[in-house]
Parts: sequence; C-alpha cells; structure tokens
Amino acid sequence: MDDAQQNHLKSYGLAFTALKLGTRVEWFLNYRGGSFLLLDDPAARRKAALDGVTVEAIGDAALAQVRRDIAAGNMDAISLEKAPRIAIYAPPKSPPWDDAVTLALRYAGIEYTQIWDDEVLKSDLSKFDWIHLHHEDFTGQMNKLYLGFRDAPWFLEQRDRDQATAQRNGFANIPALKKAVAARLRDFVEKGGFLFAMCGATDTIELAMAAQNVDIAGPFSDGTPMDPDADSKMDWQHTFAFQNAHLEMSSGVNSMSDIDGHQVNVPARRAPLGQFTLFNFSAKFDPVASMLVQNHRNVIPDFYGVTTSFTRATLKPGDTILATEEGAPWVKYLHGDYGKGSWTYLGGHDPEDPQHNIGALPTDLALHPNSPGYRLILNNVLFPAAKKKPLKT
Amino acid sequence: MSGGPNAGRRVTGKRARRFMSAVALLSGALLSGARDAPAQAQNAMVNRAFDLEQAGKFRDAIAAWRAVIAAGDGSQGVLGLERVFSQMAQDDSVLPALDTLLRDKPIDRVLRGVQLRVLRSLGRDQETRKAFDEWTRLLPHDPAPYREYAGQLLNDGRAAAADTVLQEASRALGSTKALVIEVAQLRAALGLWTAAAVAWREALLAEPYLEQAAVFSLSSAAAIHRDSVRAILRESTAAPVRKVLGSLELQWGAARDGWRAIAGLTVADSAFDTWKEFAEDAERQGAWLAARDALAAMNRQRPNAALALRAAGTALAGGEPASALDQLEAAKKGMQPFQIRLQVLPLEVRALAALGRAAEAERLVRESDEYLDARARQSYARQVAWGWIRAGQVEKARAALGGANGEDEDEVTAWIALYDGDLAGARAGLRRPAEATPDVVTVIALLGRTRADSSRTVGAAFLALARGDSVQAAVRFERAADELSDAAPLLLALAARVQGARRQDGAAAVLWQRILQRYAAAPEAAEADLEWGRSLRRKGDTKGATERFEHLILSYPQSALVPQARRELEAVRNGASSV
Repeated sequence: MDDAQQNHLKSYGLAFTALKLGTRVEWFLNYRGGSFLLLDDPAARRKAALDGVTVEAIGDAALAQVRRDIAAGNMDAISLEKAPRIAIYAPPKSPPWDDAVTLALRYAGIEYTQIWDDEVLKSDLSKFDWIHLHHEDFTGQMNKLYLGFRDAPWFLEQRDRDQATAQRNGFANIPALKKAVAARLRDFVEKGGFLFAMCGATDTIELAMAAQNVDIAGPFSDGTPMDPDADSKMDWQHTFAFQNAHLEMSSGVNSMSDIDGHQVNVPARRAPLGQFTLFNFSAKFDPVASMLVQNHRNVIPDFYGVTTSFTRATLKPGDTILATEEGAPWVKYLHGDYGKGSWTYLGGHDPEDPQHNIGALPTDLALHPNSPGYRLILNNVLFPAAKKKPLKT
Repeated sequence: MSGGPNAGRRVTGKRARRFMSAVALLSGALLSGARDAPAQAQNAMVNRAFDLEQAGKFRDAIAAWRAVIAAGDGSQGVLGLERVFSQMAQDDSVLPALDTLLRDKPIDRVLRGVQLRVLRSLGRDQETRKAFDEWTRLLPHDPAPYREYAGQLLNDGRAAAADTVLQEASRALGSTKALVIEVAQLRAALGLWTAAAVAWREALLAEPYLEQAAVFSLSSAAAIHRDSVRAILRESTAAPVRKVLGSLELQWGAARDGWRAIAGLTVADSAFDTWKEFAEDAERQGAWLAARDALAAMNRQRPNAALALRAAGTALAGGEPASALDQLEAAKKGMQPFQIRLQVLPLEVRALAALGRAAEAERLVRESDEYLDARARQSYARQVAWGWIRAGQVEKARAALGGANGEDEDEVTAWIALYDGDLAGARAGLRRPAEATPDVVTVIALLGRTRADSSRTVGAAFLALARGDSVQAAVRFERAADELSDAAPLLLALAARVQGARRQDGAAAVLWQRILQRYAAAPEAAEADLEWGRSLRRKGDTKGATERFEHLILSYPQSALVPQARRELEAVRNGASSV
C-alpha cells in the first residue's frame, strides 16, 4: 500500500470484510508500505471497485517472488485469522467534537458496537477483542470543559447524563463512576483484551487507575478539592504506560498532569506542533510493533489533542515507543502489554485536523483517503486479528 | 508679628501650610517637569519606540519604551513593553515596570488592563483574580474592572469565567447596564443566540456605534439559530438594529432580506450612507438585485445619473432587464444627448434585447447611427440580433447581423444558423468560439457527434431554450433524438437536463433510463446513472439510488463521474440528507 494505492483507509475495510467472510488474509508487513493479500474473488473485486481501493491481481509465480522478497528483507507475512470484535466506548449522543476512530471505522466500513458506562460496568467485555476509548476524561472532570462551557446546553446535558449514570450504578459522583469504569477496562486488558486510546483518554485512564483511593478531581466534579498530597499517594503499579506523573492541582488550569507534553489548553505552556517519525521495527522480530506502524509515510505532521503527546519522564520502562518527535522530550505513539492483553496510545485528537475546536465540523475522510495518521488508527483495528506467532528470540 | 507664644506659631503654621502647599506644587511641577518631557519630544520618543518595534529590534525597543515611561507616559510605555515582551515570549518581564507604575497610579485603567492580561497569559489565574479584586476594591462602583476582565476572558474563549465576573458585576453595581457589550458577547460565546440577539438589541439602543461589534458577534450563529436571531432583531424598528440585521442578512447570503431590513431607514438614520455601504457590499458579493434596490433608493433620495446607471447595470446583471430600463429612464433626466448615447444606450440596447424588444433596440441604434464607429455598430448589431432571437424571429436576427461588417464565421451567425436548423453553418461558425461557455460546449459536442448537416427539430429545440421555453426545448430535444440517431444519447441527455432543471424528476428519470437501456456504451450513460441515482435519493429511494451509484462505479470505472458517485454512495450509506 504505497503511493500507488488510491484509498489506503478503505483498504483496511476490504481486509476486514474478507476476514468477516472467512476468507484468508495476509498482512505483508513493510512490503510496499504494508500490503494485504486477499483471495481474488468476485465479491472482493466488487467491493474494491466500489470503494476505490486499488488492487493488483497476482499469480502464483509472482506471489512466490513476493514471498522470496519478504523473506530476504525487513518484511514479514502475518496471517490474519478472524475479524476482530470491536467496541467503541462512546457516549450515546455525539458530543460537539468528532471522534477520529469512529470516523475511521465508518469510512472504512468496519463494524463496531458502541458501549458506554452501563455496558462496561455490567456486561461481559470478553465478547470484544478490541475496545477503543477516545476523548473521555476518566478522572471524572469532564475534560475541565466547565472552564469555558459551563453553561453550554450540551455540557449540561453531558453532566446530567453522567451524574444520573453514577447514581444508577451506586456511585457518589462522576469521578467515582469513571474510576470504576477504568478499573473494568484494565481488567479487560489483563484478561487478554486489546485497548486503543487517543487524546484525553490516554492519560486520564492512567490517572484514574493510579488514583483508585485518592481524590484527584476538583470541586466542580465531586464537591471536594483535590487531595493536596495526591501526587505522593498515586499508585502507579497497576497502570499500563505511565508512572510518577505530577497532577495539575489547579482546577482553573485546563490540564490534567504533566504526562501531556504539549499542554495545548494552557496558553502559557502550549508547545508548538512539529512532526513525528515512526520507528522502523524489525518485521520478523517485532511483528506487533511493525504492524502498528505500517504506513506509506515515515514522517507525519503532528496534531493537537487534549493530550497530544507523552513526556518521556513519565513512561514506564517496558513501554514500546512507536513514534517520536526528534529532539522533543515527548513521544507520540506508545504500545505495551498488560497481563494477557495489550494497549496502544496515540496522542492527539484528529490526524487530519491539527487543532480541532469544539463545535467544528467532523473531518470528511473522503477528502483524506490516504491519511497516514488515520492508517495508524486502522493498523490497531486489524492488529488483534493477527495470528499469534511464537517470538523468534 | 505680635501675640503670645502661640501667635507666631499660628501665623507660622498658616504660612507654613501655604508655604508647604506651594512647595508641594513647586516640587510637583518640578517632578512632573522631570517626568513629563515636552509633548513634542515625547511624541518623538514614542515614534522611535514604535519604529524599533516594527523593525523587530526588540531589545532596542524595550529600552525605548522604558524611556517613554521615564518621560512620563506610563500607559503608552507599558503597552509597548507588553507587545514587545510578548513577541519575545517573556511576558513576565513587564510585571516589574507595571508594579512600579501601579504604586503611583493604582487605578489607571490601562495599567490595570495590562496587568490582568499579562497575568492571564502567564497562566497565573490566582494572581489575576487577586489583581482584579484589588482593582474593584479601589473602584467599587466602577464598571471598568469588570468590563476589562470579562472582555479579556471572553477573548480567551472562557465564557463561563466571564459569566462569573459579570454576575459579580451585577451584584456590585446593582445591574449590568454598564456592561451591555460584555453581556451580549458572553451570550453569543455560550451559543445562547436568542439571548445574545436580545442583549445586542438592547446594547444597540443605548450605544448605536456598536453595530460592527454586534454583526461580528452574531454572524457566527449557525444556520439553525439564525431565524431566532432575525426574529429578535426584526422586533425593533431602531435604525442601528436594522442596520445590524441588514449586514447579517448580507453575510448569511440573504441579500434581499438584508435590503428589506434597511429599506425603511430615513434621512435622520443616515439612510443614504447605510444604503451606499450595503450596495457596495452587495455588488462585491454578486447580490445584484439587492444592490439594485439599494442604488435605486439612493437615487430616489439624491437623484444622480451615475447612481441610476449603476442601478441599471446591477439590474441587468441580476437578470431583470425591465427594471434596468426603469433605472435608465431615471438616468436620462438631466443628461445631455451625447452622454445618453455614451452611457445609457449600451445598457438600454442590452436590456431591450434581453426582453426580446428587438425592434425598439434597433430603432435606438439607428437613431444614433451617425455617431457610432464600426466596432460599436457591430456590437449593437449582435445585441439586436439576440433580441430578435429572443422574440423568436430568426430571419430578422440574420438581417440585423447582415447590416454589420462582421466576419463570415461570426459566432452569432453560427447561432442563428443553428436556430435555423443549419447544422453545417453552425459547425463552421463555431470553429473558434470566443469563449467556451457551457452552451457553446454543448452545441459543439452535438455538432461533433452528428454528421447531419441540418435538422429543424434541433434548431427549434435550441431556439426554444434561447427563448426560455424549457418545456418546448425538452420536448424538441427528445424528438430530435429520434431524428438524429448518431447523437441520440446526447440529445436525450439534453432533454433530461432540461427536465431536471425544471425539477421534473420523473420526466428526467424516464429519459435517463432510456439512455441506459438503449445506449449503455454512450458517454452519457454514466451521467444518466448519476443523475437518476440522485433523483431517486431525493425521492427517498435509497435502495434504488445505491443501485444506480454502484452500477456507475462498476460499469464505468474510468468515468470522471466515479468520485461523485462514490460520494453519493457514502452519503446514502450514512443517511445524509439529500441536496
């Protein structure tokens, strides 16, 4: 899927549909920007034509040559077993900002189930292979949007909805509710699930996991101030990616902690956007990391989010860094294992909207069919379908 | 001096007070003399500091602004320092100078405003709040601190924080009357458009100069909220409110409504100036008829030939030649004959031709013939010819052209040949068209597709189109398809497009279907799929629409219409509403 491909994003949908129909799909890592091998059948050709996906018919001899090339280079062929069962953790009513993952899945034609707090708390999450979190603030402070939108009708609606959910499930307030949800999601990963998060969900879920017994929410959320010693009381043992972060103690400052490197909503601290570079992993020895960075571009323009990047100082040693900004004290894209499962975090809100403002129209992916940033999201969608290979080391 | 032991003291005391006050005045004068350089010198210092700042010589500019402060103009100097340090990302460096100046002038509005801004930009919210509290403590009944702080918060997008400040203002001042602008801006920032419109309406009644601010604030209301904003503003007949409504409507693409909002303004409301501004904006936007209305009203109020001519021009551009003629009659009053010939005649002939009143146009041209050069005669001849065509009189159109010394392969001649059904003549005349307008391209495409040299049906179809008779045009194009089989798909497509333009989706769909069934390999087949699919989507038949779009993509993969089909398919799948 190099520059010859007319529609990279829908190509993932084509592969997903093939898996759903039970046909064999292989992912050729690093081969021409990462490519999919599908069975040549009329249904696949039809879908490719309708979606504008460029396909090349390949015979046995040519395929054998491709396999030789793969074996000889920093490439590998991964079998994809079955279509992953996908859930998106998103509120019942769309907030006034777009969700990049939902957009990507809809555009690519990949099915998903929408879940929210009630489902996370009460249903069996093991029926999903992959859960995505997006913009959610798991500290229960509603992304501190009360600072600018306290009287906005949509904000009031969200607050009332979450408060009602908290009460319905026996929690005193929204922070307590979201901590419980974070804990359930951690269990999901521990038992073998895969979690993908972007934007504010990345650091806030970690803060919620580390603060199970600490008040880290400001008075707007739970009526009480943050514990002044919260920093020293955080338990980072059971978080995925981060440790030893410092919380933002002022409820009037629109930031959660120093995990985020760019601090976009704090004007005095805001760092400018640059670009980030994907690491080039060994496809044969690091197939997982390789899958997650498949792309036709190596360097991608950066984009802001409530959480844009992850400061190196807060990373755990076991984190796999997938992309960084050269010379910057932060990284952009992370992956790691936890228990039997794994997680990936991508900083930023929308790869094709460098500064997405509340109320702005959602990105039209028909205008960005070759988006390298959105390919990273879709790499994560297909990754759980990969057949587990024994490590070569 | 006499008196007891205290007498001298008393006298001395009185004198001492006078002396001391004299000393105070003198020292004050001395000090201010030291601080306040002569005005001219101070201006020069300020100018120098500005120049250094503009040149990007920030370090030098800092020194220059400090000198301005030392010379006594603390406000200017601090503002300059604020700008320069902000450029250098050293905002906090302003604070020491500010603190010193505030000790002497604790209630100076400019200094206090800078203090709040700088502390806010540094993210020192608590200190900002403290500074604000200090200011209000010093001026408990002054709206200035609330205005400044709330205004800054609104500029930052912190509507809720601004709301808090305004609530405090209400408590402290007894009302927010003095903060009408901030209240109105706040409500707009919160997306409370109805309340914002109400607030702005009240603000405009008190402070008419706020028109620009009101337009800026309300213009970003989303389409679904605009009707409520309109309703609120329409309730008022006050000139400033009407002006705001007029500007908003223009910005929102409803120029005619914008005109209606301000049409009733009177001389006392500076109507003329408002209308002038409106007309200029409307012309810039291509809202010709609204511009015409404004220009005509201006002309009625202050008759002027130039205005009437402009009104006529905009009327023509807006497709209303009849009203252009009315304006031209008004323009003629007070004009000399040569002026009429030069300025009125071209527009008048154009208007008459557009109305099909070719005989009148011809007469006017004839009356001025001795004053026309060859080029002008040719130009008028063409316009008269178009006028005859509009009237359905092709022979007279030909005759009108015959009088002009035009080329044989003149484009107008080619069109006349076409209307006559002379396809060979049309083919020759359109070999090198002056402009590739959509009509020209269509005709050339047809003439290239068919080998026929004549077809009265085709000619009649195009003539009907030129006369604006789309019903006949559609019927004749369809009939011509039976006559010219080599161009049948194109002629059917023309008929379908005309029906589509008449919003006769059913009739158009029949034609598109015919193309697909009988001429599936024709270039028009892809368009047939697309347009038929669109009409099905408009009808709500998503299944049928999907079939058509998919058929287009799969059957005509090389067609330039495939990307459009894909977008339509996405929209159908996502349930987007049809256009």
